Amino acid sequence: MNNILEAKHISKNFHDTGGMQVLNDINFSIIKGDFVSIIGKSGSGKSTLLYVLSTMDTDYQGEVIIDNVSMRNKQKKELAVVRNEKIGFVFQFHYLLNEFSVLENVMLPAYKLNKFSRPEIQKHASQKLEMLDILKLSDRKVNQLSGGEKQRVAIARALINNPLIIMADEPTGNLDTVNSEIVFNIFQQLSKEYNQTILVVTHDPGFAKKTHRIIEMADGSII
Amino acid sequence: MNYKLIFKIAKALLLARWRQSLVAAIGVTFGIGMFITLLSFMTGLNEMLDGLVINRTPHVRLYNDVKPNPSQAVNKWELYKGYYNFIYSLKSSTTRQEIYNGNFIMKALEKDERVLGFAQRLTTQVFFNNGSLDLNGVINGIEADKERQLFSFNDYIVAGSGADLQNISNAIILGKPLAAKLQLNIGDVVPVTTAAGDRYTLKLVGLFQSGINDLDKVQSYTSLKTAQKIMGKPNNYITEIAIKVKDFDKAPALAREYAKLYDTDAEDIQTANATFETGTRIRLIISYSVGITLLIVAAFGIYNILNMLIYEKIDSIAILNAIGFSGRDVKSIFLTISLSIGFFGGLAGLVVGFTLSNIIDRIPFNTQALPTVTTYPINYNPLFYLVGIVFSVITTYLAGFFPAKRASSIDPVIIIRGK
Repeated sequence: MNNILEAKHISKNFHDTGGMQVLNDINFSIIKGDFVSIIGKSGSGKSTLLYVLSTMDTDYQGEVIIDNVSMRNKQKKELAVVRNEKIGFVFQFHYLLNEFSVLENVMLPAYKLNKFSRPEIQKHASQKLEMLDILKLSDRKVNQLSGGEKQRVAIARALINNPLIIMADEPTGNLDTVNSEIVFNIFQQLSKEYNQTILVVTHDPGFAKKTHRIIEMADGSII
Repeated sequence: MNYKLIFKIAKALLLARWRQSLVAAIGVTFGIGMFITLLSFMTGLNEMLDGLVINRTPHVRLYNDVKPNPSQAVNKWELYKGYYNFIYSLKSSTTRQEIYNGNFIMKALEKDERVLGFAQRLTTQVFFNNGSLDLNGVINGIEADKERQLFSFNDYIVAGSGADLQNISNAIILGKPLAAKLQLNIGDVVPVTTAAGDRYTLKLVGLFQSGINDLDKVQSYTSLKTAQKIMGKPNNYITEIAIKVKDFDKAPALAREYAKLYDTDAEDIQTANATFETGTRIRLIISYSVGITLLIVAAFGIYNILNMLIYEKIDSIAILNAIGFSGRDVKSIFLTISLSIGFFGGLAGLVVGFTLSNIIDRIPFNTQALPTVTTYPINYNPLFYLVGIVFSVITTYLAGFFPAKRASSIDPVIIIRGK
């Protein structure tokens, strides 16, 4: 079908805390165009789940299926390609590279993908920046930006390879109300106008309420 | 892999910490520069010292040594054929010093492909008379032009001219300290008494200084003809053939061959000057080990700086990982950083090494022992520069390998979540 992301019986133990179970038989799927939020208290395992789904954390039981391909037996190198091509990330802290300008930060995943020529990549990046209303910042260094601006640059970077899904881990967790609002509106706009699939982990119920679907977690399970 | 992108990121990281990068590169520059300077200087010295010996010493010397007759009567006696005979109180026989069949040997040598050239010599003991004093000395009858070509004879003439041996009859060149002892100047007459008691007067046309003072106190040179005349011998009488061969390393083999073929004694330069080769090798080992030590120290500097860089850039590494760079890409990035420090540092090191060598090459170095040398000797061997740059790249690769491997195995989840 149209499942972009599917989680099948995902469980995870933390070995170093005496085998405590952080994820317990998680099952759900996300279809194209979904705007899903995962909420839950601290320690409910919501972030852990996101990193398992993101392919960065490979230490779990069960199966993650992205674009109808299982991530189970893939090597790290192949997973890196999947992340580059199909997933866009937005983190709580912006995580941009200080050594590069805004535009270069946005272009970096596209360079890695190596599918388009340099001028094309530059054009795409400018379009994304334009869309998020930060084109005027393109030549700035990252450390000259405000927190909200940085987060918007991070979103532009997540979008550059036209990913299947955007995964965000507390994207507004470090922002004030005004900037949180802006970031949320961007997500909503992406969902509405571009039919972009988005998965957001948040502890802010207000944010979650405005999404299409809420997955609530407690003690490693979906309630 | 997308090398252009790897280079771009490596460059950005390198320039972000340009001060540390510069310090690391200077470490390599210093190491390579010193390595080259040291080797150039040391091998320059080696070559000069070797040249002292190799250039003026015959590679193979044919002569007749004073020694007991090797074929003793008892060994030829049928009765004692299979025995090992001990002969006591054996005396050296009165062998002739002359080389037998000299003309025939020289004709054969002329045709020998392996021989660069040869010169005839005649050596005899004389007394130099100075008033009531008779000074012991040696006259070497030589072919001046051949000695000049083959054994750099003229390099050691400090006054007068070597060519005058041929041009002026009864000419003689004395060692400088010998002339000083005899109170003689160029143009003066040198009274000589031969071992047989005949008296001759020769004309002083030059002074030489070999660098070995004891030798210069007894040695003198005349033309071959003059020496033959003093000794009252015919003009085919020679006591030594000094051979210069094309391949220096084959001298011992040639010496053995000639000794057998021409039935003379033959001595090769390696046997005559064994200590020189040992010294040469040891000096080379010392300079290589000091140079390589310097480079290893520089490599540890790079290792430290890369490790620090990785700690500082751990967030960047994690984010690169998250946006689709594999561990291998990250490893390549840090190896590129390390290698560029090594390469550019090494390149600068070559320039520094060349400059320092050049400076040393200009420092005046005057010594009585070496009349032809005026500045410190430097050997500009391109091989040192090649070894330098190759070694700098190899050491920096190794220095970068472990930090890069560590960077590639960083778990992005721990870094991103740990914040």
